[in-house]
Amino acid sequence: MARTPSPMQTDVLIVGAGPTGLYGAYYAGFRGLSTIVVDVLPQAGGQVMALYPEKEIRDVAALPSIRGRDFVANLVEQAAAYEPSYLLGRQAVALVHEDGKPVVTLDDGTVINAEAVVLTAGIGTPTPRPLECGEEWLGSGLSYFVVDPSVHAGKDVVVVGGGDSALDWADALSRIARSVTLVHRRAAFRGHAATLTRVRDSACVIHTDTQVTGLHGDLAAGRLEKVTLRSKAGEESLVAADHVIAALGFISDLGPLREWGLELAGRSVAVDRAGRTNLPRVYAAGDLTDYDGKVKLMSVGFGEVAIAMNHVAVDLDPDLTLFPGHSTEGA
Amino acid sequence: MSYVIGAPCIDELDRACVEVCPVDCIYVGDRKSYINSNECIDCGACEVECPVDAIFVDRKARKDPELKAFLEDSRAFFDEPLPGRDAPLGDPGGAQKIGEIGVDTEFVTNFSA
Repeated sequence: MARTPSPMQTDVLIVGAGPTGLYGAYYAGFRGLSTIVVDVLPQAGGQVMALYPEKEIRDVAALPSIRGRDFVANLVEQAAAYEPSYLLGRQAVALVHEDGKPVVTLDDGTVINAEAVVLTAGIGTPTPRPLECGEEWLGSGLSYFVVDPSVHAGKDVVVVGGGDSALDWADALSRIARSVTLVHRRAAFRGHAATLTRVRDSACVIHTDTQVTGLHGDLAAGRLEKVTLRSKAGEESLVAADHVIAALGFISDLGPLREWGLELAGRSVAVDRAGRTNLPRVYAAGDLTDYDGKVKLMSVGFGEVAIAMNHVAVDLDPDLTLFPGHSTEGA
Repeated sequence: MSYVIGAPCIDELDRACVEVCPVDCIYVGDRKSYINSNECIDCGACEVECPVDAIFVDRKARKDPELKAFLEDSRAFFDEPLPGRDAPLGDPGGAQKIGEIGVDTEFVTNFSA
């Protein structure tokens, strides 16, 4: 029987838990608004955590230099004063209006009734880069993530890719799988040196300068048996495989919000100076947005989301003033 | 602002950059690859991946004539019709969607270091 959970209620729903969304969560709280933050990624921090968690950020006011991961931790801590709810690893797939108010549905069926929605989705939704062959095996012998490593216990697994995800999974699975074969198209791995050392020291068999060119088995039964590997030199070999995990990185695009009736400007959402989109009670801020003179920087996103959230506060309660007062007056 | 691929890519065409670009804005020609400056989000992921250090940020081109030539050539790759084509590539919104282009600008075709 289909489960129909009752909708969640919030003053503000923030879509995107990158720096702009996280600061928006702080700001919504500062304006007395309850907040839910949704992000398709399993962790907060957006591009900073996905692309450069270990790099130093030097262009944010009052922070001469801070590591990406620490920067995100600070934003989460700042917002935590107002206890926002995080729904991570879930994608906002639909936005409609009921009685003039936004209703957002997530990919797991969760429905959120919001007084206002603030979109801080940056470069949009990351989708996995596909393996060049064997897409028909997706869902049986081929996947792009490891959700539960234990399903690979005692199995023959082929991991494809050269970044941190591929190395992390090869490392983790080499302890429980019957065999792990790591296949990378290039000679050098991108991931952490320490993880690579662990993988090299494990029973994992590494093929560099090599691609997966075929998946073979009983497709109807969903039973993968082996894969063809082809080296740069043109040598082919067959490797036993119950499962292929393709960790080839992500490509981002606007994703579902392209279909929500928002006025778009190329890859961006058009907003006015208050951060309002063309849809009622739907605002946007940060890298997602565009207007004449826009510069896509975190510093700018922080300012934009503060502007938007102050307007949200007044739009929801016209008795409030646009100027929020000073945070120094708080506890 | 955008990243630009310079001369070292020519005939190297490793494609490591293509694999890491989070917005899929690196298009493969015949001898080299080209970054679409309108689609580039300046994340810098490609710069560190390039095995031959061919990728530079566009502002470095201001004082370097060779880099400047590649910056302008990168724009031309998208803004002007490539040899054998009637229309410019423009901003296709993703390299994977349209496949490898397989042709270079005249500047790159005729380039010799």
